[in-house]
Amino acid sequence: MKHFKPITRRVNTIIILSLVFGLGMTTAYFSYNENSALISTTRNNLHQQSDILYQSIKNAMLPGNAPIAVSLFTDIRDINPAYEIMLFRENGVQAFSDNTTIDTVNTNLMRKKFSERLTQINDMFTIHNDPQFTSTVLQRKTSAFQISDKGQTFFTIYKPLLNLPKCAVCHGSDHTIRGIIKIRSNITPIVKKQRINLLIAGAFFILLLLFLTLLLTRFFKTKILGPVKHIGTVCTEVTSGNFNSRVTINNEDEIGVLGDTVNTMVEGLYERFQLSKFVSSSTINSIKNKEEGFKDSITLFFSDIRSFTAYSENKTPEQIVENLNKILSMQTEIIHKYGGDVDKYVGDEVVALFTGEEKEINACRSALEIQKELAARSASHYDGLQVGIGLNTGEVILGMIGSSQRADFTVIGDHVNFASRLCDAAKPGQVIISDSVYTNLHNRFKTSNPYKIKVKGKEKFQRVYILTPLTKEDPEV
Amino acid sequence: MKKIILITVISSLFLFLSGCKNKETARLIVPDNYTNWTITADNLNYPIPGHENHFRRVFINSTGKKVMTEKKNGRVFYNYPKGTIIIKEIYPSLNPKPETKPISLSVMIKDPDNPKSRDGWVWIVKDLKKNTEKIIDYEFCYDCHTNANEPHPYGDGNPNGDFRDDVFFPYKKGN
Repeated sequence: MKHFKPITRRVNTIIILSLVFGLGMTTAYFSYNENSALISTTRNNLHQQSDILYQSIKNAMLPGNAPIAVSLFTDIRDINPAYEIMLFRENGVQAFSDNTTIDTVNTNLMRKKFSERLTQINDMFTIHNDPQFTSTVLQRKTSAFQISDKGQTFFTIYKPLLNLPKCAVCHGSDHTIRGIIKIRSNITPIVKKQRINLLIAGAFFILLLLFLTLLLTRFFKTKILGPVKHIGTVCTEVTSGNFNSRVTINNEDEIGVLGDTVNTMVEGLYERFQLSKFVSSSTINSIKNKEEGFKDSITLFFSDIRSFTAYSENKTPEQIVENLNKILSMQTEIIHKYGGDVDKYVGDEVVALFTGEEKEINACRSALEIQKELAARSASHYDGLQVGIGLNTGEVILGMIGSSQRADFTVIGDHVNFASRLCDAAKPGQVIISDSVYTNLHNRFKTSNPYKIKVKGKEKFQRVYILTPLTKEDPEV
Repeated sequence: MKKIILITVISSLFLFLSGCKNKETARLIVPDNYTNWTITADNLNYPIPGHENHFRRVFINSTGKKVMTEKKNGRVFYNYPKGTIIIKEIYPSLNPKPETKPISLSVMIKDPDNPKSRDGWVWIVKDLKKNTEKIIDYEFCYDCHTNANEPHPYGDGNPNGDFRDDVFFPYKKGN
């Protein structure tokens, strides 16, 4: 038997995997894009602000209005404390914190363009050991980075302020970087929003996954797997012989059509099963095996009700049919019990066939049991009817005999006729067997002395035996 | 079941790998034969921001010599054709010996369609020791060179404020 692999598990696995990958990737894609857009918009804004600031500082300084740039920084910081903006020299010292630049400019211009101011040490701020700052100075390229500290997240931009040719007039040509603009913005709310977005997306994903898993699993269970299982159960019951089992599916789809088809098939099987009662097993086997015709050695069983014509004259048709059916049914049951096959009923006559190694023995057992039943209960159950039985073994022709519209699988041949003649010769309660049957009994049944009879179709006398009814001491009982 | 898991794993792997972009390999684009070109400046032995204390020499290719000039509202506009290459040799000191080789090249290639161009030029620094080229698509080169389009302290100083297409030492017919 093949290892049973329930399809339910595979279907559920496919559903869950499809949903996890499909929904998961979609959710991840959109939440990633949402968060990327959020953070990139924030960063782009800060970069644009740094560009504007860069141009503002450059244009303010060129006409010698450095104090304007200083106040610009102060004003921006005052407006938004979360937004930090500072200008540093390339050595990390905060610009405008002392008189170094003023002295340099005055020296280069060879006049006192700017007055020295009082240094306020407390205002001075210096950047030490900041690799991003150092990198910006060395690379001469804007750098941006994000750091988190004590639950707060900051986005910082270091932007080099170049010593342009027009700046060199005041500041000299011996250096490239005039300073580094530092812009630092507290982006904690943005980062929090990113986390909330991820949480919402994750929750949405899980809820949707659960909902769709339940929905799809239920759908498959109720609409496909359940009905398929039900159809399987019905088929199993029909196989066991319960033809009353029916598929009850109300689906108006392929499964529903399949259920109707199975029901139709069961009805057809039931009809054939019923019909098989009216057809001999050999006929069914012949149809099954597509047999044309063949020779075989079989034991032929003929039984016939004695004085049935006279009996019929005194009974109503209902009584005749009832009692005839009773006695035929009893005989059929006993014949089947011993492996015989009823070939046909011809009026009150039963024609049966026995095959196999013990065909003669089984035929004799059937015949004697029938006679025993009738001897015991003929008057009480079978309205006094008695039968005579003839048995003969011989090679006969078996085949479909009839026309293309109506045919029977039956036996023909000389031995068939001889068995019929023996039946005719048997008196009520007698079982006459031919010599060929007797030879194969090997003394397992008692018989009376052999008799010689002359039957129609045979020129010589034929030796026959009469089976003695079984007693309690008989080993065959 | 095994097939389903296998398909899932293969799909995941495929998606993961498809997410990995191939890194573009660097391709050298600065020509080596530039020393045969026309020199537009060869006595730049004073410090300037960006190149500090390094002697410099400037070359222009034949395409660049087809520079168009046009006068609008009293101001001359220079327009270098696409394909113009200007190479500035950077030497290790302000007073190199004649046999001294340059250490790097600062290059301008006129290619307005290039997405990395700034102001119509692709700005490149070539390290001659490492033989590597780096496109400078941020402000550094471009921001300084826009000063060439107004009076400045170098060369002839552009006293009339001509638009010189970001070139401090423009090619002039008859050079």
